[in-house]
Amino acid sequence: MQKLRYERPVIQKMNAGLMNKYGTRTEYEPVKHIDGVSVASLIQQYGSPVFVISEKTIRRTYQNAVRAFKTRYPKVQFAWSYKTNYINAVCKVFHQEGSWAEVVSGFEYNKALGNGVPGNKIIFNGPEKSNEEIKLAINNDSLIHIDHFDELYQLIDICDSVNKKPRVAIRVNMDTGVYPMWDRFGFNYENGSAWNALTKIVASGKMELTGLHCHIGTYMLSADAYAVAVNKLSDLAFKCKTQLNTSIQYLDLGGGFPSANTLRGAYLPASDTNPSIDDFAEAITTAILNAGFKTEELPLLILETGRALIDDAGYLLGTVLANKRLSDGRRATIMDFGVNILFTSFWYEHKISPAQDFTHHTEDMVLYGPLCMNIDMVRESINLPLLNRGDQVVVHRVGAYNMTQWMQFIQMRPHVVLIDEKGTTHLIREAEDLKYIEQLEKMPAHLSTIKL
Amino acid sequence: MKKQFSSFKTFASATLNSYGMLFFSRNVFFSSLILLITFFIPLSGTAGLIAVFTALAAAKLLGFDAFQIQSGLYSYSALLFGLGFSANFEWGVAFLLLLIIGAVLTMLFSVALSSKLNAKNIPGLSLAFIFTTWIIILAAKQFMAMGLNQRHIYWVNETYAFGGQRLLSMVQSIEGWKLAPYISGYFRSMSAIIFQGNILAGILLTMGLLLQSRISFVLTIIGYSIAILFNDMMGGFNSGDLSYYNMGTNFMLVAIALGGFYLIPSIRSFLWTLITVPIAYLLVVGLGTITYSFGLPVFSLPFCIVVILFLYCLQLRKTPGKLATTPIQYYNPEINLYRFINGKERLMNRYYLQFALPVMGEWMVSQGYEGNITHKGEWSKALDFVILDDQMKTFQLPGNIPENFYCYNKPVLCPADGTVIEVVDYIEDNEIGKNNTAQNWGNTIIIKHAPNLYSKLSHLKKHAIKVTKDSFVKKGEIIAMCGNSGRSPEPHLHFQIQATPHIGSKTMPYPISYFYSLHNGKLNFENFSVPKEGCFVSNILPNIQIQEAFNFQPGFTITVESEGHNTEEWEVFTDPYNESYIYCKEKNAFAYFINNGTVFYFTNYIGKKDTLLYYFYLSAYKVLLSAEKEIDIKDSFPLSIYNNNIIRWLQDFISPVYIFIGLQYESKININEGFLSSGSIIINSKQSMNLFWKNKSISQTTIEIENKKIKSFSISLPNKNIKAVCHSVN
Repeated sequence: MQKLRYERPVIQKMNAGLMNKYGTRTEYEPVKHIDGVSVASLIQQYGSPVFVISEKTIRRTYQNAVRAFKTRYPKVQFAWSYKTNYINAVCKVFHQEGSWAEVVSGFEYNKALGNGVPGNKIIFNGPEKSNEEIKLAINNDSLIHIDHFDELYQLIDICDSVNKKPRVAIRVNMDTGVYPMWDRFGFNYENGSAWNALTKIVASGKMELTGLHCHIGTYMLSADAYAVAVNKLSDLAFKCKTQLNTSIQYLDLGGGFPSANTLRGAYLPASDTNPSIDDFAEAITTAILNAGFKTEELPLLILETGRALIDDAGYLLGTVLANKRLSDGRRATIMDFGVNILFTSFWYEHKISPAQDFTHHTEDMVLYGPLCMNIDMVRESINLPLLNRGDQVVVHRVGAYNMTQWMQFIQMRPHVVLIDEKGTTHLIREAEDLKYIEQLEKMPAHLSTIKL
Repeated sequence: MKKQFSSFKTFASATLNSYGMLFFSRNVFFSSLILLITFFIPLSGTAGLIAVFTALAAAKLLGFDAFQIQSGLYSYSALLFGLGFSANFEWGVAFLLLLIIGAVLTMLFSVALSSKLNAKNIPGLSLAFIFTTWIIILAAKQFMAMGLNQRHIYWVNETYAFGGQRLLSMVQSIEGWKLAPYISGYFRSMSAIIFQGNILAGILLTMGLLLQSRISFVLTIIGYSIAILFNDMMGGFNSGDLSYYNMGTNFMLVAIALGGFYLIPSIRSFLWTLITVPIAYLLVVGLGTITYSFGLPVFSLPFCIVVILFLYCLQLRKTPGKLATTPIQYYNPEINLYRFINGKERLMNRYYLQFALPVMGEWMVSQGYEGNITHKGEWSKALDFVILDDQMKTFQLPGNIPENFYCYNKPVLCPADGTVIEVVDYIEDNEIGKNNTAQNWGNTIIIKHAPNLYSKLSHLKKHAIKVTKDSFVKKGEIIAMCGNSGRSPEPHLHFQIQATPHIGSKTMPYPISYFYSLHNGKLNFENFSVPKEGCFVSNILPNIQIQEAFNFQPGFTITVESEGHNTEEWEVFTDPYNESYIYCKEKNAFAYFINNGTVFYFTNYIGKKDTLLYYFYLSAYKVLLSAEKEIDIKDSFPLSIYNNNIIRWLQDFISPVYIFIGLQYESKININEGFLSSGSIIINSKQSMNLFWKNKSISQTTIEIENKKIKSFSISLPNKNIKAVCHSVN
């Protein structure tokens, strides 16, 4: 007989209600495999912690989103939001599926070019674009989304030196009835600055006004806000056509669709409260189809959804370093991953599953990371089975933003592994080492030797 | 001056066409040859020419259709009349008067007959000539001034007068050749078509015909041989009456007309001559007995009757069978055949109204024609559509309400322009797994697109129909939402075409004009076909930039410049048959095209092959006006653009049986712009040739489109590269 697992005894307060002769029960189930590959073998091969990305999930989520839109509206194009996850292998899965690239910096722009995205399928967003970057984008025929008047004037200046008409759009911000209203990016609709910018673009005669862009917020919990946005953008599009004699070829509704992660402080789990991609598709496409465009003049609908397409595909595997009892009696479990690599733990109450069998006992606990820093707390309060040192866990839905916003702070960033559709694993980003981190450092001569 | 010259040219070509028409040709060289040969008997040739001039002048004076006049359609019967009439009467004032009056009468008959018969796609042939000549022969018996004469017996004198001793001795030495009677008979029969009987004329005509068309030449031999064989087998009918005229005009021309001219040449059309020539034979003998009793030759009446009867009956078929009638007449059996093979898909544009799929995005055909669930018997030609996910499931879990099904509440589109004539909108959507057989079709829309052409969309969502009865709907408009009403255990869309306007009408097979079809992971571009069960299908969405660039409306002009070539100016015209073409003034070249909004393609090129227009014809032979998906568009050129050499001749001879030369075309939108119509778009294409088993590349071409206009195109041939820059004026 196998030796029974030892669990440190714990005294629990009596809960009201009927006693259960089987003791306390949990809804947890161990997650031992990801796409058929065992968690233990992944950790054994790639170390702990390790990010794992499921190619199958990416493709399925993407196709599901495309289907939701394309069966409701004829012209739909997705553009992969690079900032959400710009590991090249991930980007290329999206590009293989037909996604364009949406970038917000020169660095991301060059990354997209490097991934083989044709220049005319890169959407260049963001408030900062240098002269060189803009020239590159113009020569590549990229879609440049103007964020503010200074950028508009900058573009007009550059056009004089470049023998090509850039294809441009403006980013519009507006009141869609949600709080907070994002008005720091783009030109405001209600106060007329968006219209002002459009007239300036057309009047300059130096640019080809191609589309209109908005991005009304992030983690939007209401699909109706998008319908409001569509109506306001369509209004601008009609005015462009009738007053500026310029037809708007695309409406870029940006992103902001939520994933199934539960926001910190939310009362109900996200899977119960967040609208589905179908709800957003229904709201957006119905609004455009009812806006009054002629069938043959319907604009292309561009979507820059990032989070909703990648979050589910990412997992973080980690190992328990230690258990502790805090002074107030709460249990604390220390993991080998913290906010340094799981940046999104500032926003979400991540779902975490043990990766091996456990008993039915659970306890509320604090989950800490390995950093010697007080902010390093992964979950403030989570009900989990009792974990011992060396036990492995799986953090779910970490595909978005973690692999771009992670910090090299105290610890180094781990491997990122892709499981392809056949179940084969591929290392797509190596773990950092000391040499990698120090390679950019320069040592002044007078500091080259030390003596202690 | 210029105007006079052009009207002279029109007149000359009308004259020549009248001669060519005798052999179903419009070849200038062949027509001139025939004209020349008629003058072997000068008086006969002169009478023929006078009759043609008279008919043309009268037709022009009366103001008949200039296009028809120029084609020789109204004057070739007059030519026959002139040739035939002169053989039987003495020259003189009375003769000339009758010639002129007869020519005009023939022309009037021709106009009347062609207007009545051509409307039914039947040629008037030489009926006008037969009627007129009969009338005049009968009448002339009463006129004292008309001396009957057998002048054609003394043709030697006239030939001498025309060509002197040299021609006469040549003719006579050929007459003296010891040819087998069948062979000399063949040539004499050939020359009898223009009312002559000598071997030299026959040989020259045969050579001209051979140069003009290999198939026609073979057919004359077949027609002649069948007649001889049939005659022998019938135990030899009194061969004196079976004159060369009857052999030539009736049997040879029946063979050409039905073997390869009015029908597309094929083994079938060749085999049918085994029946049609003997029928003509019976008519010659049978009708001849009647007409001779009035003192009238039977002329080409048997030929006219057989051809008209056969063609008329073929037109009555409900579906075009294997024995195809020539859809567009190019006046050459080879060209007809090559264009037909090449144009099967192209011609669909004429036969079928363009239907699109009634859905947005990618749907799967869950039940096709002759499906084994409900598409049976009279209702078998219907399509059911659903949406699948990557697991091939139609729903997401739990899947127990219609809302879980991907296709439920998705837009249903109008498949083609039409009027809504029936709307049912009140039937409840079923629970999953339940059927409502009492209201079998559920919520339904029926749209009338043309007389006897209706489409029906069924099992729609309750109270989600967006159109009302009698409203006009446009292709692509959202008219309803997919639902689960009627005989529908789970949500799906039922689509059928029918000939009657009722709910419950039986179905009719009808193709969808253009769509993408994904089957076993392979994406296909489908033209005028019926979606197959199990395929994922989606509509083709045009790219406005490419669409605009190829939107050649009449009056559109474009200047094309290239180094080493003269600058060409092209203008777009539309002819009386509503066919559009690009015309290059400098080189007198024509490129006919069709643009149906989804595909642009050339149908024909006429002119020299070193023009920029020809290179453009090669480059843009077929272009999909969409940049949504990367897909190769394949097509083949008609063999008629292949060089005129020995291989081509060999191919012509056996073309009704086997085609061994293949000229392929392939194009691809290179920079896939998706749906945006800005920036530049490049279309690459390549042309290659298959000769038996070998494939050889001929050329590669590129077309660049910018600002909704064709900016330039280039072609790289084995020995040179040409880049042409286009400037459109409007």
